[in-house]
Amino acid sequence: MSIVCTDLAKVYEGGKSGWPALRGLSFEIRRGEFVAVTGPSGCGKSTLLNILGLLDEPTGGVYSLNGRDAGAMSDSERSALRLGEIGFVFQAFHLLNRLSALDNVCLPLLYAGEYGAGMRHRASELLRKVGLHGKERKTPLELSGGERQRVAIARALANSPKIILADEPTGNLDSVSSGEIMEMLRQLNSEGITVVMVTHDLGLAGRAGRNIRIRDGRIEP
Amino acid sequence: MRELFNAARTGFAEIWAHKMRSALSFLAIAAGSMVFIDAFSAIVNTYSQLEQQKAVSGLARLKVTNNRSLSLSNTDGYQMPPVIDYEEVAALRRQFPDLYMVSPEAQDWREVLQYDGRNVVTSVTGVTPDWTKRDFIYKLRGRFINKYDMDHKLRVCVIVRKAPPPPSNDYFKQRRKEWNFTASFDELAAHNDLLDKTVKIGRVTFTVIGVLDALPYSERPENLLGYSNDYQVLAPVTTMYSYNMLGPYDSLEVNVDTGNEATFDETVRKIRNFFKVRFGSEDAFVIENQMGLIRERMAESVRSSLATVSLGMLAFLAGGIGIMNVTLATVFARTKEIGVRRAIGASRRDIMLQFMVEAVMLGLIGGVIGSVLGWLWDVPIKVILGMGAAKISAWIPLVSVLIAAFTAFVFAIYPAWVAAGLKPADALRAE
Ligand SMILES: Nc1ncnc2c1ncn2[C@@H]1O[C@H](COP(=O)(O)OP(=O)(O)OP(=O)(O)O)[C@@H](O)[C@H]1O
Ligand SMILES: [Mg+2]
Repeated sequence: MSIVCTDLAKVYEGGKSGWPALRGLSFEIRRGEFVAVTGPSGCGKSTLLNILGLLDEPTGGVYSLNGRDAGAMSDSERSALRLGEIGFVFQAFHLLNRLSALDNVCLPLLYAGEYGAGMRHRASELLRKVGLHGKERKTPLELSGGERQRVAIARALANSPKIILADEPTGNLDSVSSGEIMEMLRQLNSEGITVVMVTHDLGLAGRAGRNIRIRDGRIEP
Repeated sequence: MRELFNAARTGFAEIWAHKMRSALSFLAIAAGSMVFIDAFSAIVNTYSQLEQQKAVSGLARLKVTNNRSLSLSNTDGYQMPPVIDYEEVAALRRQFPDLYMVSPEAQDWREVLQYDGRNVVTSVTGVTPDWTKRDFIYKLRGRFINKYDMDHKLRVCVIVRKAPPPPSNDYFKQRRKEWNFTASFDELAAHNDLLDKTVKIGRVTFTVIGVLDALPYSERPENLLGYSNDYQVLAPVTTMYSYNMLGPYDSLEVNVDTGNEATFDETVRKIRNFFKVRFGSEDAFVIENQMGLIRERMAESVRSSLATVSLGMLAFLAGGIGIMNVTLATVFARTKEIGVRRAIGASRRDIMLQFMVEAVMLGLIGGVIGSVLGWLWDVPIKVILGMGAAKISAWIPLVSVLIAAFTAFVFAIYPAWVAAGLKPADALRAE
């Protein structure tokens, strides 16, 4: 999976002429890379990640995912790519609090058409992989922040994605948990998954393969 | 299918998680379902009653009487208007052998009936065997008047025993008492088995060959013509003429069922012609077209039950709007969740399906609850309140549940469409 952005721009609606969040970004991420995106608050990192994850559409420029122009995709194609190729990890976890950890991990599997014992087995394997063996029945509200983020990572991995997009995955965690999550992402990267991670933590950014620095909607040289 | 099942599971969890909210929307649709069941069983009852009435009363009915208000008075003084006597009826019968019923009758009022040393006031109605063909809401013991009795002018009679009056208020009870001049006859008939006994009516001795027990009011169809004669004693009309219980000035009322609705108007015309020729003038007699009246009455009762059904439909509409409101509220309350689901790969279709299924489940559950409540209302509660149980066919609650689900489906389309149309990035940002 390769990501190629050319002159990417995003203007949010509002005001007279809208709020420009991205003002022409051009970069490329090759498959298997571990890229950290950094920059001051409000510079457009989350906006960029949403576009890369097909959650949002740019208002200018071209984003091509694996050689295909994202602007030309239908909503169902975008949904299918999010389901099968892309895994998200968010700062605020974004788990469904009413469901158990296991059911949260099962959710993408359900949408992929899996069911029954096979599905639950895969979900508990994933939870074991992120170190949550034995906590499958707990709901997110009964887990610590670090544990919640592990559930989110397990959920992101459910359909064996080729890319993981993480928006400040350690933003709500202490340094120990942060280190563990970072280690986990590096481990996944070493297994061949492309990882794009937004972070404020320059120490963590330094452990990534490459940094993209953004300021005011533009890439810093 | 699998998707549906998953959506149903999520929907159920959601309904369970918001019991109060869900209960309120159940109730909205349940009320619709309940009113619908009540209204629909009413309409079904009306229809079956109409069928029953048609079977008992017939449709192609007309009645011929002499024109009592016709004045032929001249300088010679008052002259009675011409009467329809048995000869006319016999001629009519001969002319139109295909008529299903030609039943002439005339009443001899205020005769005194003597039995077992008691004298009671009664009325005697002269009839023919055709009398039993329509509006026969009796059970007969013994036999009815036959052609032999007619031809030989035999002194035989049939006693009519009234059914207990339907429950009513004091006013009507009072009125009944005031007007029922044959109360003592009714009592005599009720307490004595007169079958095969002899009774004296006026100065003539009759043998009771049959007893008619009127069916209780609950078992007989309502009279479509809105009135019914009160009968006490029936005797062959020929006998009554022969014993001067009916005189030359007594006119017969002739009840006719042509037996064919399609040719009814044609037959009425022919019968009118027949009497016109007999009397030399159309003024001398009156033909009451009862089919038109019956049709009108039937249309009226169908219309009124349709009005109740539209009430039921309105209730469903209210229920549907309730479901729409709840679903819309759920969509806004769960915007974040929609965003999360979209982010992990749910398509618009998945989201739409989830909300539709949830709403239809609300509708189904509401429909079932409403059906149960509707049944409780229509059967035990109405009985307790003294209104009498409504007849509910098995398919009515079924249809009601289906309509409830369908209403929910229709009214959930818009909220579900709103949910599916949310942009993933925007939905995720919601709190
Ligand atoms: N939905 C929106 N509507 C209007 N403006 C928006 C919207 N989302 C973001 N913005 C604006 O776009 C700019 C970039 O926002 P974005 O969330 O991408 O920043 P960020 O780099 O992720 O910041 P942080 O590090 O604080 O998360 C900001 O100026 C923000 O005000
Ligand atoms: Mg951000």
